[in-house]
Amino acid sequence: MTSMLKIPPTFCKNILQQTLKVNKGKICRQLHQNVDKGSAKLSTDCGTSYPVYDHTYDAVVVGAGGAGLRAAFGLVAQGFKTAVVTKLFPTRSHTIAAQGGVNAALGNMEEDNWLWHMYDTVKGSDWLGDQDAIHYMTKEAPKAVIELENYGMPFSRTKDGKIYQRAFGGQSLKFGKGGQAHRCCAVADRTGHSMLHTLYGQSLRYDCNYFIEYFALDLIMENGECKGVIALNLDDGTLHRFRCNNTVLACGGYGRAYFSCTSAHTCTGDGTAMVSRAGLPCQDLEFVQFHPTGIYGAGCLMTEGCRGEGGYLINSEGERFMERYAPVAKDLASRDVVSRSMTMEIKEGRGCGPEKDHVYLQLHHLPAEQLHQRLPGISETAMIFAGVDVTREPIPVIPTVHYNMGGIPTNYKGQVLDHKNGEDQIIPGLYAAGEVASNSVHGANRLGANSLLDIVVFGRACALTIGETNKPGDKVPDIAPNAGEGSIANLDWCRNANGSTPTAALRLDLQKTMQKHAAVFRVEDYLKEGVQKVSGHYKDMKHLKVHDRSLIWNSDLVETLELQNLMLNAMQTIVAAENRKESRGAHARVDFKDRIDEYDYSKPIEGQRKKPVEEHWRKHTLTYIKPDTGEVNINYRPVIDKTLDLNECPTVPPAIRSY
Amino acid sequence: MNFLRVINSSRRQLHMTTLKYFSSEMNNEIMSSPKYPDLIIAKPRRRSDESFKEKKARLVYQSRKRGMLENDLLLSTFAAKYLGQFNETQLAEYDRLINEPSNDWDIYKWAVGAIDIPKDYDSDVFQLFKKHVENSQKETRFKQPDLY
Repeated sequence: MTSMLKIPPTFCKNILQQTLKVNKGKICRQLHQNVDKGSAKLSTDCGTSYPVYDHTYDAVVVGAGGAGLRAAFGLVAQGFKTAVVTKLFPTRSHTIAAQGGVNAALGNMEEDNWLWHMYDTVKGSDWLGDQDAIHYMTKEAPKAVIELENYGMPFSRTKDGKIYQRAFGGQSLKFGKGGQAHRCCAVADRTGHSMLHTLYGQSLRYDCNYFIEYFALDLIMENGECKGVIALNLDDGTLHRFRCNNTVLACGGYGRAYFSCTSAHTCTGDGTAMVSRAGLPCQDLEFVQFHPTGIYGAGCLMTEGCRGEGGYLINSEGERFMERYAPVAKDLASRDVVSRSMTMEIKEGRGCGPEKDHVYLQLHHLPAEQLHQRLPGISETAMIFAGVDVTREPIPVIPTVHYNMGGIPTNYKGQVLDHKNGEDQIIPGLYAAGEVASNSVHGANRLGANSLLDIVVFGRACALTIGETNKPGDKVPDIAPNAGEGSIANLDWCRNANGSTPTAALRLDLQKTMQKHAAVFRVEDYLKEGVQKVSGHYKDMKHLKVHDRSLIWNSDLVETLELQNLMLNAMQTIVAAENRKESRGAHARVDFKDRIDEYDYSKPIEGQRKKPVEEHWRKHTLTYIKPDTGEVNINYRPVIDKTLDLNECPTVPPAIRSY
Repeated sequence: MNFLRVINSSRRQLHMTTLKYFSSEMNNEIMSSPKYPDLIIAKPRRRSDESFKEKKARLVYQSRKRGMLENDLLLSTFAAKYLGQFNETQLAEYDRLINEPSNDWDIYKWAVGAIDIPKDYDSDVFQLFKKHVENSQKETRFKQPDLY
């Protein structure tokens, strides 16, 4: 962003040179458990407008959701001096929204085998997942769940005292041939909260330093190495540089790049954006999972049970349009078909509402009693968020973003990767886990209850990897005295932005463009138009207007920084979606309906020529973005088919995916 | 670190209520969830020199950033409507309501009436919030209100 900034001249010289001892009480709100007061030092630049405090740690974790807390706990348990920097109180991370559960082949309900879980996950990924990471995750899953139980996570139990496991979509026995598996462990319907509560509590038993309600601005990168992060304390406006040998990013997804999503409003892709600004790639961002029926804009899901009970979708003409797209299954057609049909109706001008940009889900032809009994909560949700009485009126709905499969490329150990000259290159000092990462266990589509597993397994993997190569108290790297200067300049620019477009207005424009052009209906000209529009929004950032000039609890400022992050994510997503000329998993192109692999797996492989990598799409997309212009460059990375041990876990060979 | 030892007495009561609620919903095959481990979770404590204006600004931020979109929408729309007119006492009540409970789903379920709110949190501010959530005016809450 630097080139579009007006950097105050005072910033350019001798910034952050002088160090002072800190007044002890000042930087440590009591909110922050166990903050290490003694080692923080104050640097000052010109005057006191942006005082910067320096901290040194063995490791810094950014984000305090499931992945961040699991990493932090793993680090402090090994004796590493660890800081957790988070813009939210830990139990307010988006992990709390996860009510489903955690998949692990414990075999408590029937015979189960992690190799079957591995098979389901590879198939779910539409063979875009890296099989070494999937091998690792599914094999470690039972151990990870038992560990959580030992730490005090109160899983629901069977009568004989074992962890109860329920059925979840996409989980099968015996490599897809043995019927539905019961593999999902849950804590009633509060699995996410319980996980956060347990991990947070456990980490506090050690000396874990929490910096809560601190907004991470940027990574501190020098000579291709990550040496920490710079963050803004939202409570008092002070800046903090965390210098360390190991930085773990666990910042979650970027659902908020779209108008309608199930993610919390804080899911703004801060981690992927920080990595992008550091010149590193993001991977497979074009793969975004949608649910067909979320309440328009609000994002609350109207379960598929609504249509199962006899509810149906109608367009602005009152027509039950699914009869046209799927004459037999009608409204019970698969998620993809329903989502795409809804979008087709909107695109052809038969959308509802003043902007003709959604359709209606009608339930009021069903008896009121059936609604209350069979669809509990639906009537309340519709009234609370859409002001709709479902016994009289239809509910406005739209395909809604549910999960971002893409993210920061990492290996199965959580180490962040770049890919140069055909080789994976590890970025020293940088790790990522959770929805922010693309390790890539979800590949082109994520299976339910695999994401909570992903966060605990790979949060733990980051801590273990750091433990293998570091010792507590290792020398902390030096950084340039002016490290983080660019981030402070950007902060200053945002705070004083005095253009014509309020942050909320530009954000809404971006979200509507992404919803229209980069959702489930993907076709060349439509995507190209979308790329043009998002580029336009990107350029419009220089006209932003921020109303609040303060540094204390400035929501306007935070949301502007978040918008910059969303833009970086959105731009790469839509360019990658336009670029990928095939349909795979969640990425369905109307104009390229087939999955294009190295062989045509619908026929016997014998006698077929193996397509070279340029001619097929079973490869990861890597996007690099220039922060000042928004220009995106694309590279590729091969999918890893080789598992960690082929004797123990053979590769699942690609096949045509059908359920 | 005295505050580490501060456990809100209402928390125990709160978990009892919620467990009862969930066990009634549960599948027959499931016995129950064992009780929450006795982990001590420190509650946010604020700096003593926080001004009235700063407190309001903090509560605006915290009303918009909840970790789950339902509360993001409900608390942000509520804050936009009422925070400006709240006095010190009401602000403190609201602060407690949104910052003390460890599980945001509890706040949601209290507000929609799915479970009873512990007496400790049942203030005028909560009743006002509950009315807001009922949405008898049939407002649409499709997005968070703009800040300016």
